[in-house]
Amino acid sequence: MKAENLDNITRVRVVRMRTRVWNAMMMAVAVALLAGTMASRAFADEPMGVVKGTVNQALDVLRDRQAPLAQRQEQLRQIVSASFDFKEMARSALGYHWRQLSPAQQDEFTKTFVAFIEDSYLGKLNEFTNQQVDFTTTKSLGQGYAQVNTNIVKPGSSEDPTKLNFLLEQEGSTWKIYDVTVDAISIIANYRNQFNRVMNNKGYDTLISDLKSKQAALEASLGTR
Amino acid sequence: MERLKLATTPNALCALVAAAFLSGFCFASPAFSQDIAPLGQNPISKQQAEGKPLPGENNEVTPDPLNGFNEAMFSFNLKLDDWVLHPVASGWAYITPEPVRTGVGHFFDNVDVIPRFANNVFQLKMAEAGVELARFGINSTLGVAGFFDPAQAWFGLKEHDNDFGLTLRYWGAPTGPYLMLPFFGPSTIGDTVGKVADGAMNPMSYLLPWYVSLSAETGWRVGEAINYRAQHLNMFEEADRYAIDLYGAVQDAYLQTRDNKVKQLHEEEW
Repeated sequence: MKAENLDNITRVRVVRMRTRVWNAMMMAVAVALLAGTMASRAFADEPMGVVKGTVNQALDVLRDRQAPLAQRQEQLRQIVSASFDFKEMARSALGYHWRQLSPAQQDEFTKTFVAFIEDSYLGKLNEFTNQQVDFTTTKSLGQGYAQVNTNIVKPGSSEDPTKLNFLLEQEGSTWKIYDVTVDAISIIANYRNQFNRVMNNKGYDTLISDLKSKQAALEASLGTR
Repeated sequence: MERLKLATTPNALCALVAAAFLSGFCFASPAFSQDIAPLGQNPISKQQAEGKPLPGENNEVTPDPLNGFNEAMFSFNLKLDDWVLHPVASGWAYITPEPVRTGVGHFFDNVDVIPRFANNVFQLKMAEAGVELARFGINSTLGVAGFFDPAQAWFGLKEHDNDFGLTLRYWGAPTGPYLMLPFFGPSTIGDTVGKVADGAMNPMSYLLPWYVSLSAETGWRVGEAINYRAQHLNMFEEADRYAIDLYGAVQDAYLQTRDNKVKQLHEEEW
């Protein structure tokens, strides 16, 4: 049946029907998009979840004094490496020198720095005895970047709490920690200054051998504590 | 006939506009657009492919034009610490229980109220300056000449540390190159000027002959340093354990800390 053959009332009904279908489809799209927005809003809370999960898991391992040290260290290493982007840290810590290295050197440096940073955190965590971690706020640092603030409090002490903040970057569907600040001092920026100086004054070979010997010393001290 | 069609379109238009508006929100959030965008247009993988600038990657090295002098003073200070300050501080830590060292620390801190008060005033932070005065009054009396800190413990009045180096930065004066001072440690040209200005605020330096006030001030600062070092006995040992280049670690930590303090002073406003 052709449209021209229909009476006016039927034509109006057909047009209205089409409009309703069209409107319904638009609404469905709108709802779908809205749901998407909601889902990505939920993402905004995730940096805090990543930090809380990591810190609490690490504290559980630390408080479990029954397990042998080597086993606890391995557990800590797994927990920490799941949420820290150590490769990004290595690249960032080397600053503009990164691009001057050969791929083999980049690989060597990353491996050594990752081992060094892991052992540093393990050493610091081992010193962590009866302190308490208060998770305070999450701050957005622009799209895909966030900062989670925590206070380290010694119960019963009048000292100011240590401000330990985690900087996170969104990578795919997860958030990864790429820097830590202690009382507002960025650890990666601090290493960058040190590495810049060694690279400029003495070169890569000195940097890598110094880093290796420091890492070995840290690792040795971990075993004895 | 045409009128009928036109009359029905606004509904659809509204829905479209709403959808477009909402999708704008969605595309603004990377989590969503990442899942639906083709791989090549994915904002995150694009960034990675282009070699996203990492924090600090384009930064030049921290300028250090006085490096020769600074390095020499840094090793002098480390030796001084190694041979004199650390042994003396260890002795002091050995003969005093911890609460005494904390009390002595409070005492030295309390007497230094004048530069803290004055610099809060210089930065027009009248409330903070008032708190400093109140703290001095409470701690000098109830706190037994400043050995205790009841102002914070009982009245919740926190110290608002401040100095003239910060005042200079606060009003936008450039702080100049990094400078390692003998005895005093890391500083900048601006912070050194500040230190001298803060020292000149001590009324003792006008009331007494210079040789008396100078030796009194020196003795005072030495005592303060020994007590501080006794409170942080393995400070350098700790730092060195995690440092590849101790000079660079100290330099950066000092500069970051000072920059953060000024930022904090500005953020406190409102």
